[in-house]
Order: sequence, then structure tokens, then C-alpha cells
Amino acid sequence: MANSREHEAWLQELEAASRVKQRTFMDGIAGKLKRPRVTEAPAHPYRGAPDFWREMEWDEEERVQRFTDNFKSVGGHVVRLAGMEEASRFIADKAQEMSAHYILRQQESELDALGLEAALPEAQVSVWNSDPDTDWKARAAEADFGVVLADYAVAYTGSITVLSAAGKGRTVSLLPTVLMAIIPVERLRTRLGEVLTGFDQAEREQLPAGIHFISGPSRSADIENDLTIGVHGPGIVYAILVG
Amino acid sequence: MKVSLFITCLSDAIYPRVGEAMVRLLAKYGVQLDFPNVQTCCGQPAFNSGYWDEARATARTIIDAFEDSDFVISPSGSCTYMIHHYADLFKDDPAMLERAQRLQAKAYEFTQFLVQVLGVSDVGAVFNHKVTYHPSCHGSRLLGVKDEPMQLLQGVEGLEFVPLPFAEDCCGFGGTFAVKMADISGAMVSEKVDHIKETDAEVLVGLDMACLMNIAGNLRYRGEPVRVMHLAELLYEGVTQR
Amino acid sequence: MSHASTATKPKTVKARADLALNDEFLRKAVKFTTERLRLGKKNASEEHGNWDDWRERGRQIRLHTIAHLDYYLNLFVDNARANGVHVHFADTADEAVKLSLAIAERKAAKSVVKSKSMVTEELHLNHALEGIGVEAVETDLGEYIIQLAGETPSHIIIPAIHKNRYQIAELLSKEAGETLEPDTQVLAGFVRKKLREKFLEADIGMTGCNFAIAETGSMVLFENEGNGRMVSTVPKTQITLMGMERIIPSFEDLEVMATLLPRSATGQKLTVYMSGITGPRREVDGDGPEEMHIIIVDNGRSLQLGDPEFQELLNCIRCGACLNACPVYRHIGGHAYGGTYSGPIGAVLTPALNKNVGEWDDIANASSLCGACYEACPVKIPLHDMLVYLRRRKVERGHGNRAEGMGMKGFAAVAGNSGRMARALKLGKLGQKLVARDGGIRLKIGPLKGWNSYRVTPELPKQSFRDTWKTLEGELRGGLQEMDEATRDRMARIVQERGQGGKGGGHHG
Repeated sequence: MANSREHEAWLQELEAASRVKQRTFMDGIAGKLKRPRVTEAPAHPYRGAPDFWREMEWDEEERVQRFTDNFKSVGGHVVRLAGMEEASRFIADKAQEMSAHYILRQQESELDALGLEAALPEAQVSVWNSDPDTDWKARAAEADFGVVLADYAVAYTGSITVLSAAGKGRTVSLLPTVLMAIIPVERLRTRLGEVLTGFDQAEREQLPAGIHFISGPSRSADIENDLTIGVHGPGIVYAILVG
Repeated sequence: MKVSLFITCLSDAIYPRVGEAMVRLLAKYGVQLDFPNVQTCCGQPAFNSGYWDEARATARTIIDAFEDSDFVISPSGSCTYMIHHYADLFKDDPAMLERAQRLQAKAYEFTQFLVQVLGVSDVGAVFNHKVTYHPSCHGSRLLGVKDEPMQLLQGVEGLEFVPLPFAEDCCGFGGTFAVKMADISGAMVSEKVDHIKETDAEVLVGLDMACLMNIAGNLRYRGEPVRVMHLAELLYEGVTQR
Repeated sequence: MSHASTATKPKTVKARADLALNDEFLRKAVKFTTERLRLGKKNASEEHGNWDDWRERGRQIRLHTIAHLDYYLNLFVDNARANGVHVHFADTADEAVKLSLAIAERKAAKSVVKSKSMVTEELHLNHALEGIGVEAVETDLGEYIIQLAGETPSHIIIPAIHKNRYQIAELLSKEAGETLEPDTQVLAGFVRKKLREKFLEADIGMTGCNFAIAETGSMVLFENEGNGRMVSTVPKTQITLMGMERIIPSFEDLEVMATLLPRSATGQKLTVYMSGITGPRREVDGDGPEEMHIIIVDNGRSLQLGDPEFQELLNCIRCGACLNACPVYRHIGGHAYGGTYSGPIGAVLTPALNKNVGEWDDIANASSLCGACYEACPVKIPLHDMLVYLRRRKVERGHGNRAEGMGMKGFAAVAGNSGRMARALKLGKLGQKLVARDGGIRLKIGPLKGWNSYRVTPELPKQSFRDTWKTLEGELRGGLQEMDEATRDRMARIVQERGQGGKGGGHHG
């Protein structure tokens, strides 16, 4: 941008004002609470879920079963496959069945190994952020299938967790018509808290810009409380449990 | 042991039969009720409308009236719960606060006393009618009287209980609300009566005469022949029929 | 966009409620949806189990955070800045609008896509954006419908709860330039296509914020449609408006909120999307906003701090469960409340945020104080008590209704003394002779007008309870049963324990 320096200066000006305001804002809060500013971390005895909840842990079979039940109950699809080879074949079959021509996948070694390009010679399979000159958002918008590898999944809520990174676009799980999420079974946890506490433990600097929990197809009940699937996000979501 | 009756103004003035049923029923368990004649209203109309000075004046009368009682029993969960608010009224008056808290500790709604203190959940009544039950909001939600009336009803021989759809919904009384917001209140009581009709019950029973007066008023307005009773009345009638 | 509908609204809750009560469709629609939602909540909370323990935990986390809000908010701001977010503060709605417009102007934005945000409703931000020629597009399906209708949301989470599919089809057909069938799939399909274009061409994405995590500087969005993800991913600039109280300390605490919020709102185990956004896109990322602003809004919230009766209002997580549980809301709908927030939370929040006693309208009177809101609240805010506090403050500051004030003085005089009460009763019995028929009063005049429009008032019996007491007592004294020993012992024990500071018997279940 030609005026980027000017814009930077403007942002700095705002920041200077914001920092001044920050102090009066916080002092104002302390004043209303009728005590001096709290500057040390206060003891937080009620942090997180109740103790009884933290003890709950399901074995792998139960995690798979509960995840499957929950995900299906909100209109998602779940398959469990033995390995990545089967996953590749499954996605290819579905692509043929639904006449999917544009397939966009994340840039991850596990997904490279799927060999979707070879399995779907007629389709255009592209790899997120693999070339700096492509408009990747547009690619995602036109894609029939978005293929992602889940970073985690949660059985109790039936959720898939995807984190953003250079090779992992946020739009890949959002803009395509169909979402295919591969979940290695060992990434499937029992409780939401098991995944969330990991973000506390990671240093702030290590957190990705986007952390997304996806629990089924996009939905709305805004018209006469009548359920509609696929309002803005993908209306068809496959959770492919592998292993 | 001094067990005092807190009749509440509504039962005193309009539904003395409820107080009488309570007194006679409890006498069967050796409870000789005492009735401090100086008692008046719990003060809820003023309290809820925001007139706390006025509510304090009546609260003082009630606190005085039951000073020496060991147990205070009332046919209304709402008026009993109002006593819990006395602590709010006197929060800046330590001496009165202490007295208010003492009264709160000994105040019981009728079925609470029967079940929790006397340990009675079956009074040995017979009542051959189809009955539905409206749990009044303050008694059930705020005072926590939920199981006691159900236990007592289950103990009644011949009684056919029909659950009331959306039983927990307010009947629309709400004290001055019924006058200030008459049309909203009217819509609420009409809906309540619609649900009562759905049950086909011959008798509607409850624990609070204010709500029951409201519902009975709408039933009568619409010409519905459902009999409306306080649980104390039903139990006492059932006992005498044995 | 027309804003005329707000200008012609009647001034009092009562008058607005009358309009709603006469709108058969509105009543049915609101009733149908709220019943479904509260049943969903009931099932979801029962299935989850230990619901009261979770509520208590949620309440404690919120109480703790608000009690140390200066610490946690400050921590959030420092961390968000470290993440590359431009953080701003707005004491008032005006300031928040100015900041938003300044960013939009600086970015030479032509259009803004918005996900659902109650804060921006408080600010009337869409109107302001249009004022400087920026198209503001609501992208939540319900909000989009409401925007096309030129209305405001009537429910915190189901904004178009009061509209039926025919009305919606008409609105959307106008937008489409062709007739759309009143079929939910068709209508939603049109909106998907239409808004997809808007997402892709918008310069700015604007969001609200369900929770902000102090320790990491992340903001969290709960939503079902995917529009929240769209507006926070696709446009180059993201602006998030958050109430200053949206803070929780950690992701660990988010588990509790994520357990309470979706279940209380819609009965879901989790919303379809829960996103934690930590700063703008990283340099290596292929998408996400390049520039991210968070505007922290006070707008009356801090007035609750240090006010023992209202501070807990800041614990609200905006789930809408109190609306769904409220029998008054069910009959009058959200617009009757006349503010941004409706239902029990709105009845308290609107006057509390304004702290403007004289203009409190009769909003706090629109409640029977049944406590269903408190019971439904996932963080146990005692809204029914707060309504009474509002009424009291209005009276204390001399804004009460004069006739009512006189009446209450009379009430205190009578109800403060049993002799006067007995005399008043006697007067009543005399008076009713003129109007009672068959033990009932049907007269529809004076104070009985409203009441008797729906009911028959019972006649006072000849004798009050206190009139009969002497006789009754005498009769019973003779034939009194002996109390059994176990009961006598239990009663003695209860009295004794009470004296030693034990908990009173017949209390909260």
C-alpha cells in the first residue's frame, strides 16, 4: 500500500491514545470496586471445570462411539477406517459420487501421503498456500471439497478441532461445500477441557491465530425455529476416524 | 413447644377455611397451634413494589408477633419466603436483622412442616377425585418446596393424579402485577387455565391461596367447574371422609 | 433502510405489550420457539447432569473475574496487543461508534459484514456506518432478516423469533427481485448465496465477542451458521466490539462457559462453531485478517461495579435462557421491552446500564417476580430480586407513582396493625354488599377493572379466620391427640440446633 507508512503512523497514534486510556479505564474499575488496582494475579480457586468432571475419561472404543453418536445426532457423517489408504479411497469415492471437481486440501505431510491427486485424475486437487501467487481464498470459495487433518477431536461434544498455520488455512474448513476431516483416532479426547487446557499450557506466542472447534454441519433455526443445514459453512461434513 | 400459625392476610380475610383445615389436621398429630392475634400481612405487596419503608413497618409487626414462637407455620410458600427478605429489609439494623434471621430459621410452609418436622408424608386421607397440582413459583422455586406436596398427594388413597402441563409456569398473579399489567397477567392466567382444562381434572390443588384465587377467578369467569383447593383442605377433607 | 418502526413505538411497556398481546401470530410464534428452546435446555442440562454444580462453578468464575476485572481486563489487553491486536477503549456508545467509523474511514471501506453482536445493537452501529456511506450487512440469518425489515432483534439469540416464513419470504423476495417460496431451505439457500458474495467483497468484518481470555489475549466466538468464522477470516480487517465484562481468565475456564452457554441457549452440547481467535493472521498464514482491532466498550457497564445489588449483572453470558423461561416474555415478545435487550435480563439491564431512574419507564413492572429467570440462569443471576431493587430505587428517588405511593402508605398503616386491618376488612364486607352476586364480584370498574376483565373476584366470607379462632381453639383443645415422643424429640432437637447456629429447618431445597 502506498500510504502504508502513513497508516502505520495512524495506528501508532491510536495506540498511544489507547495506552493512556487503558490506565484511566483500569483505575476507574478499581475505583468503582472501592479498592486499589490489583496488579498481581489473584488466587482463582474455581478455575476450570469441577473436580469430579476432570476424572472422567473414556477408553478409546467409548470415545469413538460417543463421538460418532454426537456427530451424527447433529447431522454430521462419521466413518471409521483402518488407515490413510482407506481414507484416500473413501474421499475419492465420495468425490466421484458427488461429482466434486475442485478439491482443496491442507498442506500437511499426512495429507500428502493420501495421494488424492493420483486417486482423482479428473478432479483439480490443490494444496493450500502451496504457491504465493494464487488467490487461496478464492480457491477455497470455489472448492467442492475441503480436506483437513484434525489436530484434535472431542468425544463428549462431538467436535473436531482445527488450528491455523501456514499450511493450514482457516477457509479450507469453512468455504467449501463439503468438509472432509480426517481424525487420527489417537487425537480423539474425552472432554473439551483436555484440549482447551493445552492452549493455556502452550505459551501465548505459540498459539495459532485461529482455533476452531467444528461440531457438525453449519446450521440455523432462525426461520420459524425450523432447522436449516448449510447456511454459511459447509452443509455436509464427514468425520473420518482413522486407526 | 410453641407452634404458631401465620395465617397470612388472604387466608384470614378470604379463605378462613384453609386455616381451619390446617389447624384441624395438625391437631391430629398433637400440634396445638397458637394464633398471635396481632399478626397482619407479611408486607410483600409493599416490598415487591419497592416501598421498603412500608414493608419494614409490617415486617416489624410480624417479627413482634412471633417473637416467642418455636415454629411458625403458614399456608403460603410466598409469604413464608417473604420472611427471608426481612434480612434485606433490616440489613442496616443489626438488632432487627438478628431478630429477622431468628424468625426466618423457624418459619415453615405448611407441607414443609408436615413432612420435614412432623415426619408425616401420608395423612391417611381418601379422596376419590382426579386432581392436578399447580406448584406456586415462590414456594417451589425460591423456598424449594417441591417434593413435600408430591409425597403428600401420593399418600392419598383413591386420588388420581394428573400432571399439569407446564406446571412450573407462573399463573400470572404476581401481586400488584395482576393489577398494573392486567392484560399480561390475564393472558398468563388464561394459559394456565387452558393447561388445567387439558388435564380433565376435577380438582386443582395448590399451596398458595393468592395463586389459587387468581386461577379460580379465571376458571369461574370462563364457567369451568373445576374445584380449587389448598392442599391442607384436600388432606383434611380426605381424613374426615375415612 | 427504514428506522421508522422505532420512532412510532408507544412509550410504555404496557402499551407496547398491549400491541403484542393483540398480535396473535407473534404470541404463537414466540411461545412455540421459546417452549422448544426451554425444553431443549431442560433435556440438555439433565443429560449432562450435576447441572447445579456447573451453574455454581460458572457463577464463581464470573464472580471472581468481575471482582478482579481491572487485573484480568488489563492482562487481556496487554496480551492482545502482544498478539498484534490494536486495542481501543470506549467509555460511551458514542466513543465506540467514533472509533469504529474512524477505522472504516481510514480503510476507505465500502462495506462491512457483521456477525451477531448485541453490543453493536446497543451502539446502533449499522445506522452510523450507513451515515458515512458504508454498507453494513448483518450476516446471521435472523439478523439479516431483521435488518431487511428495518427492525431490531426481539430475542438475544433468535433475533427474528417474531417473524413467520411468509413475512420472511416477502422480505427476501424483494431483495432477490424474484418470488421466493416460503420454504425454509429455499430462503436460507438464497441468503447463503447472496451473503457469500458479500463476505468475499467486504473490506471489514465486524464481530461481537462471547468471551475474551485474559491469559492469552484471545477472543472467543460461539455460533452455528459459520458467519462468525466468515467475518473473522475473509475480510482484510477485523473489528471486534466487546463489552468490558466479557473476560474469563483462561481457556480452562472456557470449558465451563462452553458447557453452560450452548446448553442454556439452544440445548446444544456445543455450538457448531466455537472459535478462539488470537490476533491477526501470522505472517506465514494464507488467510485471516491482516489487521485486527478490538474495541472494549463500557457504555454503562462499569456503573454496576461496586453496587452490591447489581454487580452480578455483569456475570451474564447472554444465553437467552431467561427469555425462554419467562412467562411474560412469552406473551409480549421482545419489542415490548423497548430496549436493546429484552426479557428479564433486558428489564434489569436496560435501566441498569442507563442509571437514569426518572426515565425508567415501567419496564421493571413487567414481571410477576416468579423467579423462572433465576432458575434458568446458568450463572444464577438473581434477576427477580434485581427487579425489586429497581422498583425500590425508583420509589426512593421520588419517581414512584403518586397514587401507588399513597396506597402503600395506607397499606402500611393498615397492615402494620391488626386492629386497623380488622376494621378495613369490615368496611370491605360492607362495601361488597353492593356489588357481590352469588359469592363473586364481576364489576369491571375502578381498581377491579383489569382484574375482573379475566376473573371473578371472590366475596369476603362473613367471618374472617381471626373471627372464628376463639371458637375453633376451644373446640380443639378438648380432643387434642398426644404428640408422639419421636416427633416431640425431633422438634426439640431442631429448636436446639437452631440455637447453636445450625441451619433452620424448612428452607431452601
